[in-house]
Amino acid sequence: MVGEAHVSMIPTTPKKVWSANVNGHAVQALAPSNAILLDVLRDEVGMLGVKRGCDLGTCGCCTVLVNGEPRLSCLCLAGQVEGDEITTVEGLSEGAHLAPIQTCFATHGGSQCGFCTPGFLMAAEALLDSNPEPTREEISCAIDGNLCRCTGYQQIIDSIEAAAEIKRGDAPAPTPASNPHPNPHPEGPDQPSMPPGHAR
Amino acid sequence: MMLMPPFELHHPKSIEEACKMASSFMELGESFDWVAGGTDLLPNYKWHINVKKHVISLAKISGTDTISMTEIGAMARLNAITESDDVHPLLSEAAAKVASSLIRNNATLGGNLCVDTRCFWFNQSEDWRRSIDWCHKEDCGTGSDCRVIPNQNTLCVATYQGDLAPSLMVLEGIIHLIGPSGSREIPAEEFFQLDGITRNVLEEGEFVLKVTFPENVSSRVGSYHKLRVRESWDFPEAGISAAWIPGDGSTLRVASTALESIPRLHLEQVAELSGEFNSNQIKSLSEAVMKSIKPVNNTTLPPRYRKAMVKVLAKRSLNQILEASE
Ligand SMILES: Cc1cc2nc3c(=O)[nH]c(=O)nc-3n(C[C@H](O)[C@H](O)[C@H](O)COP(=O)(O)OP(=O)(O)OC[C@H]3O[C@@H](n4cnc5c(N)ncnc54)[C@H](O)[C@@H]3O)c2cc1C
Ligand code: SF4
Ligand code: FES
Ligand code: FES
Repeated sequence: MVGEAHVSMIPTTPKKVWSANVNGHAVQALAPSNAILLDVLRDEVGMLGVKRGCDLGTCGCCTVLVNGEPRLSCLCLAGQVEGDEITTVEGLSEGAHLAPIQTCFATHGGSQCGFCTPGFLMAAEALLDSNPEPTREEISCAIDGNLCRCTGYQQIIDSIEAAAEIKRGDAPAPTPASNPHPNPHPEGPDQPSMPPGHAR
Repeated sequence: MMLMPPFELHHPKSIEEACKMASSFMELGESFDWVAGGTDLLPNYKWHINVKKHVISLAKISGTDTISMTEIGAMARLNAITESDDVHPLLSEAAAKVASSLIRNNATLGGNLCVDTRCFWFNQSEDWRRSIDWCHKEDCGTGSDCRVIPNQNTLCVATYQGDLAPSLMVLEGIIHLIGPSGSREIPAEEFFQLDGITRNVLEEGEFVLKVTFPENVSSRVGSYHKLRVRESWDFPEAGISAAWIPGDGSTLRVASTALESIPRLHLEQVAELSGEFNSNQIKSLSEAVMKSIKPVNNTTLPPRYRKAMVKVLAKRSLNQILEASE
């Protein structure tokens, strides 16, 4: 006989303290040792910009940067990145000011329904950090693990090209489509916007 | 969403600690799995496939991710292999064709070699598998038959869909294993076992440490061609690697993957060329390789198409290594 007809979810794995640096802040959370990074970031740290799409590694919605490298948080055990530096989409903007890559997605139609956008932004940001002048071919390689059902990808590649120009200083930063809210995080940016444990 | 079943994750810091941990679990009779990048193990766990009580992570063992022309550590990330100027170009070419760039940041060489065999009757959720009354690979005590080749109940023919194995074979790679009972070395072509459940020669508690290559590996010219549904991240539906030392037909090696339960090195078909290799032989060799493999119906594309494509892929690989040698 191989396998069990029903894998019991009880007893659950006991929780331990998990610590890391998320978006520049030292964070401690209680997480079971079988937890994936996606669940810890959403449920315990409150970073709801990390999206759960497929949960199987095929869509890229859950992409975060681990020590500057884009990684799928749904296929990453939290324990394996303990103590590392993690950046989620919340960590891209500076206060109320969007990063160039975010502004360009807004102005070039790189985001429609927006569900895939955090994943694309993180993959694109990692690309531009390592390669300031990517070709369209290199851009499509960098986002080959991200799926978008809305845009058809061309606008996303346009957005990344435009952001690359701004980051290199070859183009002026565009004026944002609307004035940023003076205080978009009333509780402070490191406060979860929903109580931990309610994010699923 | 899929709930991760309960298990305890362990982080040995050294090879010795990992071996000790494995042998203590074996003494206690507790089940465990290794995890490297987790890109194959975790989706299977989320589907509740063969879940173990303990998972031992190899990620924090230092020194197992070295990359050079003659040696690659099992924990070397596939993107590091893709981007490295030190590895054989055939390996960076093959690694670049694995999954997507995001998955390659997690995925490792060791995990790619030991990747579980795949079958569309099996890589499904618990409820889905229950609805077909399971299958031989994970029969859950029901004695279910294989859904692909029924009425035999002894063999699982799930397909091995790792991309790197054939390239290791044609570059004469040696796989180094280590475990509680010591270390051993085995040629890449002898590592795999023709059964979708056993998969390879790894004993309980043993893991892959590194892969080494002969000193003259840099003089080999190689090529890997892969058939997949979507270029972005799909598993191979067929794959052919070929390599030789230009001008010396006796060094030609051809290997295939994603067609059967194991990747194969095609020694017999190459031996028929009696040490000569030129453009006139490409057609007959490609046909011979195609005839020698027997894909079954358990992946996305139909087996007849995959078999026919073997000839095409073999021709492309062989042509490419001849052209590159001119
Ligand atoms: C969307 C998607 C697409 C994919 N496409 C491809 C593809 O195109 N080609 C391809 O080849 N693969 C593909 N894969 C599978 C997988 O990503 C790769 O095979 C990867 O290289 C596995 O490495 P890993 O380190 O993540 O393995 P893990 O998931 O950590 O491990 C895989 C298996 O190997 C065992 N293992 C890991 N390391 C060792 C070791 N050192 N010694 C002994 N046993 C070990 C584990 O116990 C487990 O059973 C894909 C996966 C996904 C999710
Ligand atoms: S080949 Fe047969 S036994 Fe193996 S996974 Fe598929 S149906 Fe199950
Ligand atoms: S949720 Fe991680 S890749 Fe889809
Ligand atoms: S914007 Fe809707 S999925 Fe990409």
